[in-house]
Amino acid sequence: MDIEEKIKELERRNLEAELGGGQKRIEQQHAKGKMTARERIDYLLDKDSFHEIDKFVVHRCHDFEMEKNKTPGDGVVTGYGAINGRLAFIFSQDFTVLGGSLSGAFSEKVCKIMDLALKNGAPVIGLNDSGGARIQEGVVSLGGYGEIFKRNVRSSGIVPQISVIMGPCAGGAVYSPALTDFIVMVKKTSNMFITGPQVIKTVTHADVTAEELGGAMTQNTKSGVAHFAEDSDQSALDRVKEILSYLPQNYREITPTIECNDDPDRSDKSLNNVVPANPRIPYDIKDIIRAVLDNNQFLEVHQHFAKNMVVGFGRLNGTAVGVIANQPRFLAGCLDINASVKCARFVRACDAFNIPLITFVDVPGYLPGIDQEYGGIIKHGAMIIYAYCEATVPKITVITRKAYGGAYVAMCSKHFEGDINYAYPTAEIAVMGPEGACNIVFRKEIADAEDPESTRERLVEEYRNNFASPFKAAELGYIDEIISPEDTRPRLINALMMLKNKKETIPDRRHGNIPL
Amino acid sequence: MIEINAPMGGKVIEIKVKVGDTVNEDDEVVIIEAMKMELPVVATGSGTVKEVKCNVGDAVEADAVLVVLE
Repeated sequence: MDIEEKIKELERRNLEAELGGGQKRIEQQHAKGKMTARERIDYLLDKDSFHEIDKFVVHRCHDFEMEKNKTPGDGVVTGYGAINGRLAFIFSQDFTVLGGSLSGAFSEKVCKIMDLALKNGAPVIGLNDSGGARIQEGVVSLGGYGEIFKRNVRSSGIVPQISVIMGPCAGGAVYSPALTDFIVMVKKTSNMFITGPQVIKTVTHADVTAEELGGAMTQNTKSGVAHFAEDSDQSALDRVKEILSYLPQNYREITPTIECNDDPDRSDKSLNNVVPANPRIPYDIKDIIRAVLDNNQFLEVHQHFAKNMVVGFGRLNGTAVGVIANQPRFLAGCLDINASVKCARFVRACDAFNIPLITFVDVPGYLPGIDQEYGGIIKHGAMIIYAYCEATVPKITVITRKAYGGAYVAMCSKHFEGDINYAYPTAEIAVMGPEGACNIVFRKEIADAEDPESTRERLVEEYRNNFASPFKAAELGYIDEIISPEDTRPRLINALMMLKNKKETIPDRRHGNIPL
Repeated sequence: MIEINAPMGGKVIEIKVKVGDTVNEDDEVVIIEAMKMELPVVATGSGTVKEVKCNVGDAVEADAVLVVLE
């Protein structure tokens, strides 16, 4: 073979590998409304930036006549490229090759790029579309999953890891995404579950479809396993780019500041009227969040899960921030099990990647309920406390209205070394609401009164005036400053600038023991 | 048929619809008081009110059916 023939042979092999499972299967993939593994990579990465690795890797299985069924690449496309000019490592499972099933060789390809990402401090994006373990390979396939899980854990908090579920993802395959920072699911074409509908039918006789059991909306609303639900492959990949724009390349860096064309001194009179005068009337906390952030842009994370808590990313004068807020519109903004987990996970994600925390507080307390107690609200609620206390990034808190009891303490109070704690004049910071407090403190006085009801009302009113305000907390220094709502944006930006070089170290130890 | 459920346990303090009314998705149908907050319960779909399954003053549990649309 002369050189020209050798180059031709390379081209032939390249074309063969790029065809994956062949034209017919590619058409089937398209018929389901799905892009192919390579189309997804091309869409996600900057034009012509993809460099493939291990294109000619094949499996080594000789059982079940598998030696006759080899495809170059073995069902996963791996490599690196750029997303908005920043390095990212990527693996994209190819459903057209043996259903995207995971072999030993497949796993080694994924591990190779995860190792490169860790050493070079860049994010890993996993595009999942796989039928699961390659049964023919037996325990080799299981070992492959184990190797990937280990790397997910070792990379956690070092480089961002984002998983996109764009097809089936079942059994052991779910645990790699579950160990990553964010999961994006495509509606209708993706699902995630440990055991599928057929196994459930056999074991429990329950009838459930794959979509009901583990579709995008199920995992986004009921379980909170997934953070985003998107309409198509394209919109899911667009979402990945958006998430990455708020994250640094690794834990040693900070998210690049972008030029801000929104006035940092912009005050907003409309904010003075968002919190209703009547504390019994709910409002949308997102009206405050959007009004404060640059260009009113807020990327909500876990939008469909535990709506009584709002978390997401935005920017203040170009600096990426993580926003956490109680939402009075849902469950009165109470903390419950799901809201606690949602909050704690987001706080830790931000702290891991040097993203300052902005917390808006309007919380009447923890949600009373038998289910909540049986479900372990104590340990789940403790996660919020743990996460905020552990976080060493800049922490700024704004109490907009209610901050009662243990929930006041939990929501990034001064006592957890909140760096700057603001309150609106409408804030009510107290151990409990006026009615509850008076029934305990003045129990005897009310019972002994000639007219208990009017006495109670008078005492409640007195309590409200004296204690349901931000002033007691401000007198003690628990609130640094009481600010006018219209000035929220300039105040936050100013505090953030002051905290730019914040350095806080936590005591040396193996690792803490977060309640799980 | 669309069932509109209580988002959390509480006391029904206002019912904003009656049988035969047309409601659109996101319209407020009932107000529940819980955790000292007056929480609007909104229609999860559009339709005509077939049945109102609660009265003002009722204590309802989370997920209780309040209004049925068809």
